[in-house]
Amino acid sequence: MKSFSFAVLLFAFIAVGCAHAPQSASSPASPAASPQPQAILVASNSHEIPAKAPEAAVKSPETPVNPEKGSVNNDASMDYTEEATGAAKEEQAPAIADSIEPFNRAMFEFNDKLYFWLLKPVAQGYKTVVPEGARVSVKNFFANLGFPIRFVSCLLQADVSCAATEVGRFTVNTVWGIGGLMDPAAGKDLNLQKQDVDLGQTLGVWGVGQGFYIVWPFVGPSSARDSIDIAGEYFLYPLSYTSAIAPWYVWPIVRSYEEVNSTSLRIGDYEALKEAAIDPYVAVRDAYVQYRWKKVKKKGTPIEELAPAGVRLER
Amino acid sequence: MKRLFVGLSILMLFLITSAVYAGAPLDAVKINADKVLDVLRDPKLKAPSAKEMKKDKLRTIYVTMFDEVELSRRSMGMNWNKLNAAQRQEFVKLFEQVLEKAYADRILAYTNEKIEFSKEAIISSNLAEVRTKVITASKEIPINYRVILKDGAWRVYDVVIENVSLVQNYRTQFNDILAKNSPEQLLEILRKKVKAQ
Repeated sequence: MKSFSFAVLLFAFIAVGCAHAPQSASSPASPAASPQPQAILVASNSHEIPAKAPEAAVKSPETPVNPEKGSVNNDASMDYTEEATGAAKEEQAPAIADSIEPFNRAMFEFNDKLYFWLLKPVAQGYKTVVPEGARVSVKNFFANLGFPIRFVSCLLQADVSCAATEVGRFTVNTVWGIGGLMDPAAGKDLNLQKQDVDLGQTLGVWGVGQGFYIVWPFVGPSSARDSIDIAGEYFLYPLSYTSAIAPWYVWPIVRSYEEVNSTSLRIGDYEALKEAAIDPYVAVRDAYVQYRWKKVKKKGTPIEELAPAGVRLER
Repeated sequence: MKRLFVGLSILMLFLITSAVYAGAPLDAVKINADKVLDVLRDPKLKAPSAKEMKKDKLRTIYVTMFDEVELSRRSMGMNWNKLNAAQRQEFVKLFEQVLEKAYADRILAYTNEKIEFSKEAIISSNLAEVRTKVITASKEIPINYRVILKDGAWRVYDVVIENVSLVQNYRTQFNDILAKNSPEQLLEILRKKVKAQ
């Protein structure tokens, strides 16, 4: 067990180290987080000049085609500009650097196989045996145990009402919710909703950029910054301390059970995403970035927005 | 005189509000979403053999609810300008089929879920976002519809599920593919995907 915890600790240090790396890499942390859009921007800019000619050539036969067909064609022939579509007014998550893409793609494949060959069949069997209500209760139980991570995140974000809500929830649900199996705190009377916070998000609120994209085996998509949650879970998730009172193999069993249970409640989500995707790897990466960006933005201004727009183009 | 003035201003207020809310974005989405739910809950269509009929009905709703050209154009972003008219038309069709194949069964699987329309947010004069929540037994999924006003009708051009924009997700993928491939090759990839499904 000692050696194992050392490995995890080392891993945690690496993760934390990585999470800070982008900030020290250059004066404003944001460019580190967004080398890709620059690359794309620069690339599209440099291509623009040679590409314009064929584009124009392509467009000219377009006009004679237009009048023959209906209004759809008229619409379809409209060029895309950010001003005309108002796309500039929409919120848009930044791109993420994917410097270790071959590794990430391999891990993506690994997790994909893990899901389809092991996790999903087990979860499906479990789903047929255990009714949904019970599985929701199990989910609530584990969610209740996640209290320390959320509480610490609230505090680190200096969000007192968030922290107070979490304390209230934990007390109410542990005492009246039968050890967290039920969630009376979220009911209409108390209305103490689970706070959507974690440590990676906290770093984001502090102004740390997301860093590069990384797919961890078993854990899934993450970023250099958000990998801190793997360390956070080790220290702040009560189940990590089961080894103090139970044999070493209890932790992986309990943790796997938690995973099977939560998977049983969302079978089909991943399949749908994969089915709809043209390139599932890129689709998952983008979904992760959008999701995380919004989560940070909800709590504060993400670093990507702090830099003036011109800075990104220059670099 | 005072009464007349008050009466007039009340009348004005009504006129203004009715003008603002005529065909409001939220209603436009809600009417169509309700139609979808009606189809899904129709007891006459319960039989598994009625699946194709349900799909047909959903398709007609989709056409009035979504602006598929706008959806395609935005999903391509700047790459849209690299396609010629014929390619654009084919792209719109293929993309629609990809989406249908991916989501039709998923939507048909919905039965007991509730949709809650919380509010609408105006992005600009012709863009708005309608915020909804799908409530299932175990979770709440926030789904936002971005709508555009064209020819007096609000139609959906992007769906944001749990803060992930469909359009942006596809834009990233198409960007990635078109960085290494030509538009024709992208269309070929889509053709294959539609056929394979």
